[in-house]
Amino acid sequence: MKSWHSLEGKTIWVTGGAGYLGSAITRELDAHCAKVICFDLPGRAEALVREQKLTRTVPLALDFYDTAGLPAAIDTLVATHGLPDGVVHLVMASSSGKRLEVLTADEFQRTFDLALTPTFVLCRALAEKMKIRGSGSIILYSSMYGIVSPDPRIYHDPMAPNPIDYGASKAAVLQMSRYLAVHYGPAGIRFNCISPGPFPNPGVQKGHPGLIQDLNRKTALNRIGHNQEIVGPTLFLLTDSASYVTGHNLVVDGGWTSW
Amino acid sequence: MMSQSPAFSLQGKVVIQFGGTGLLGPALIKALGEAGATVVVASRSRASLDSLVAQEGAAGRVIHAEEVDTHSEASLHALRDRIVAQHQRVDGIVYNAASRPMTSFSDNLSAWKESMATNATGFFAAIRTFGDVMAAQGSGSIVNIASQMGTIGMNPWLYEGTAMKAPPDYFFHKGGMINLTRYLASHYGTQGVRVNVVSPGGIFNVSKPQAPAFLERYGKMTMLGRMADPRELGGAVVFLLSDASTYITGANLPVDGGYTAK
Repeated sequence: MKSWHSLEGKTIWVTGGAGYLGSAITRELDAHCAKVICFDLPGRAEALVREQKLTRTVPLALDFYDTAGLPAAIDTLVATHGLPDGVVHLVMASSSGKRLEVLTADEFQRTFDLALTPTFVLCRALAEKMKIRGSGSIILYSSMYGIVSPDPRIYHDPMAPNPIDYGASKAAVLQMSRYLAVHYGPAGIRFNCISPGPFPNPGVQKGHPGLIQDLNRKTALNRIGHNQEIVGPTLFLLTDSASYVTGHNLVVDGGWTSW
Repeated sequence: MMSQSPAFSLQGKVVIQFGGTGLLGPALIKALGEAGATVVVASRSRASLDSLVAQEGAAGRVIHAEEVDTHSEASLHALRDRIVAQHQRVDGIVYNAASRPMTSFSDNLSAWKESMATNATGFFAAIRTFGDVMAAQGSGSIVNIASQMGTIGMNPWLYEGTAMKAPPDYFFHKGGMINLTRYLASHYGTQGVRVNVVSPGGIFNVSKPQAPAFLERYGKMTMLGRMADPRELGGAVVFLLSDASTYITGANLPVDGGYTAK
C-alpha cells in the first residue's frame, strides 16, 4: 500500500513560494520528492533555491496580476512542466495597510483586484485542465481575519489595525474555495482553504514585541505560529490522506477563532 | 518508497483509542499502527477486540487491548494507572467510542438517558482523566470523533423508503462534543495539550452495504458523489495527533466529501 502522505512523483505549484509561509512549504515539498514549481517575485524564488540548496524546485517568476495574459501563461507552463497534481496558492495576500477613516475607494478596490480576480482566473484555468485528468488538489489561503474581525485594541499607535479590505478579501477567498469545491467536486478535484492565525514574520516579531504579546494572548496555545507549522496542514490537504476532504476551511490558528 | 516525514509520524507516541469496533474503529487503529504509534485500544468488552488484535498482530503490529467502563470514573482511573505504569506517558487520545441505545424518535426516555450516560458523561470523564495526564506531562493531542450530524440537522429524505433511522440523541451529543472540544482546547491550551474534533460524513459499510436508495441519495448530497471509505478517516486523525499540526487546536475537521460545504 502506498504511504498515505506520499508526494513521490507529484508536481506541486507553490505561488508566493519564497515568502515567509511559502518558503517553509517549498522546502518541505522539495524534501518529499515532489517536483516543485516555486513562483515568486523576480529573483526571490531563485534565491530560495540557491540558499536552501533545493534540488527538485524550479524557480519561476509570473505576473499573476496580469489576468488577461494569465491563461496563456498557464498553457505554456503546463506544456513545459506538466499539469500540477496540487497547487498551493499563496499569492493573494493584499492589504492597503490604511486606517478605515482614510482608506480611499480606489485603494479598497485595488486589494480586491489583486486578491480575487487573479485567483479565480488561475483556479479556473488549472481546474479545467485537471478536469480532463480527473484529479487535483488546490489550496487557497484565507485568514483568521476572513472569519473574525481584528481587535483594534491590540494595534497600538502608530500601527494601523489590520485593514478592512484585507479581511473582506480573505472572507471572499474562503467563499470562493467552497464554490470551486462544489463546482469541481464531481470532476474529482478537491478545493480547500487554510486560514492561518497569527504568523507574523521575523521582522514584525522583532519590531513589535508588544503586539506579539497581545497576539499570543488571543490564542488558546498562548503563542504565535511559526512558519513551519503551516507545512503539515498544507501537505495533509495536498495528499490522498485527505481524499474525502473538500470544501473545508482548515483553521491553523492556535485556537484564535475557537473561543 | 520515499522516507516518512517525521512530522506526520506517530513513532514513539503512545496513543489510546476509545472504541475499537464499528465501521470506523478498526480502520483508525490500523492507521495509528501504520504511522508508528504504540496503540492502546480501550473498549467495554475485551472480547469484542479479539479479532482486531489478531488482525493487527497478523499485519505485524502490536496493539494493547484494555477493558474499561466509561460510566465509572474509578474504572477510567484504573485504566489510566495501568497505562501510565506500562507506558509511562500518554501522547494521544482518539475518542471514537459511542453507544446507540436510541433507535427512534419515540423511544422511552430511559434510552435517551442511557445514551447521555455514555456519550456525554462517559466521554467527558474519559477526556478529563487522560487530558489531565497529558497536561501534567506538558504535551499531548486529543482527537474526538464527532459526525457531520453534530453540525447539521436530520434530513428525512435520505432515509425514505428504507429501514434506516436517525435517532435524535446522536445529533445532540455530537453537537455537544464539537463545542466541548473548543472548551477543552482553551482549558488545556497553555499546558501544551491540543484538542480537536474530526467530523466524518457517512461511512460506507463494505460488509453490509446501506440501502441502495440511501446510497444514491447520500452520494448526491456530497461533492464527491459517494460515502467515505473507512480508511479515508485515518489521515485526518493521524495528522491531528502528529507534530504536523502543532498550531491547530479547537478546530473541527470535517471529512465529509464536501457534504457540509454547500
